[in-house]
Amino acid sequence: MNFQEYDAIDFACDESFQRYCLEEHDKDVLFWQHWISEHPEKKAAIAEARHIVEIFSARQGNRLEQLKHLEDGIARYDLLHQALGGESEPGNALRKKHIPRLLKYAAVMAGIALLAGSIFFFYPRNSVPEKNVVINAGKDPRKTVVLPDGSAVVLRENSTVQLSAGFNRENRRLSLTGEAFFDVTQNAQHPFIVHTAAADIKVLGTVFNVSAYTDRQTETALFKGKVEVSPSGNHGQKIVLQPNQKLITGETLPFAVAPLDADPVNHKAKEIAWVRSRLEIENEPLEAIAGKLEKWYGIKVVFADEEVKHYRYSGTFESETILKALDALQLSYPFSFKMLNGEIIISK
Amino acid sequence: MSYEEDNSTYWERLRAGDKQALFALYNNTYSHLLRFGLKLCGSDELVKDCITQLFLQLWNRYATLRPVTNVPAYLFTALKRQLLDQLAYQSKIHAAIHRMTDQEAERELSYEEIIIQVQCDEELKQRLQQAMKTLTPRQIELVRLKFFEGLTYEQIAAQTSQTVKTAYNTIYDAIKALRKVLK
Repeated sequence: MNFQEYDAIDFACDESFQRYCLEEHDKDVLFWQHWISEHPEKKAAIAEARHIVEIFSARQGNRLEQLKHLEDGIARYDLLHQALGGESEPGNALRKKHIPRLLKYAAVMAGIALLAGSIFFFYPRNSVPEKNVVINAGKDPRKTVVLPDGSAVVLRENSTVQLSAGFNRENRRLSLTGEAFFDVTQNAQHPFIVHTAAADIKVLGTVFNVSAYTDRQTETALFKGKVEVSPSGNHGQKIVLQPNQKLITGETLPFAVAPLDADPVNHKAKEIAWVRSRLEIENEPLEAIAGKLEKWYGIKVVFADEEVKHYRYSGTFESETILKALDALQLSYPFSFKMLNGEIIISK
Repeated sequence: MSYEEDNSTYWERLRAGDKQALFALYNNTYSHLLRFGLKLCGSDELVKDCITQLFLQLWNRYATLRPVTNVPAYLFTALKRQLLDQLAYQSKIHAAIHRMTDQEAERELSYEEIIIQVQCDEELKQRLQQAMKTLTPRQIELVRLKFFEGLTYEQIAAQTSQTVKTAYNTIYDAIKALRKVLK
């Protein structure tokens, strides 16, 4: 077979190449490693083909890397076992007899727990912040950030959120001081948890507002979905909120569930008056609209395409996050947008 | 020796404390366990972690393991338990809400759902969703058999009653179309 003539699709459809990508047979792995090193000019095509196989095999593969993890894990386990049980050390044989069985069992269990922990801990993972990321609104009346998991957070002035290490990989935990509005994406594996001084709030995909100033009562107001609040003082006690309810936690009263305060004029919840933007547009170009949104939500909006800037829109809408606002605009005449490095990029 | 006989031999050697047999069993069953796990939850990282945990536990208590007639079936069940434990541990709340709101329990994920869910990049997810829509159901089925189930072109041809050449061409055209959308 003349692989020299191959392009990315030919490689991706080649069975031996597929086995190499999935690390199924050592023979194919060795062959392709060698062939690729001999043909540097095919690097781009090979990389693309590997990407294709990776996508359509749902990221199977990595058997060899995973095997390495298992080998390391077992090597550590054996070391630990030796240290605890002292099987291979003859000097310990006498003492071993006197260790009560329960204690030995406990020691082994502790070892396994430690081992299990270290395995999860040592796995190298990509594209997640390792350090605790701190986001502060400063003097801006509102600052919008889109978190690595796609959830949008609008922070009120002088409010701060701090993401836990491993956010979006091992957990979705963050701490809040001040006030913030959350629009949380669904993730079956990691519940989204907001820690405040007065309570922990566990959520699924949902929309809610938390006011957690240190000198006031903490209020959790829910708009969509379901959240569960655990006030810090009440160990084990949990309150599940329904939409359009809020939970007040403070020092004087333990906690109280109340309906949201509706504005008498427009019937909208007063709790998020600070975040909601009412935008009336009369045949304006997207460039001008983006300027308004940028100012209101406190996030930079840039255009990757000249033509889109001149698309014109009319209408009135209210939205709690800039992502929802752009979604609404997209409905009448489509464009696309994405988040990159803390900016929103609009293109055709 | 057949796949089943291999696994049974490795199992008996593992029960006797042979570490190499553990690795051999791992290599032999890895891709099957991974695919099985992916259908239960769309996270390759979680499944891979659980497979490692499963084999560590086997090694931890090899002396107390019992003889097993169907080794893969035993491993599938153990992996499923491991996955459910992890999922429950990670999000008890979610599971509860899910049970309350969603009646259909333990639905297998479709191929399209799996390949989209395991990707982390939001943009790629969306483009992938678009890309899959451009394929015919037959093309999707053949791409699944080839790349996800890992069948050979011969096996696919036999299973779908067509020639090897046709199977290859169908998959080739599908990949070509997908590549255009994904670029």
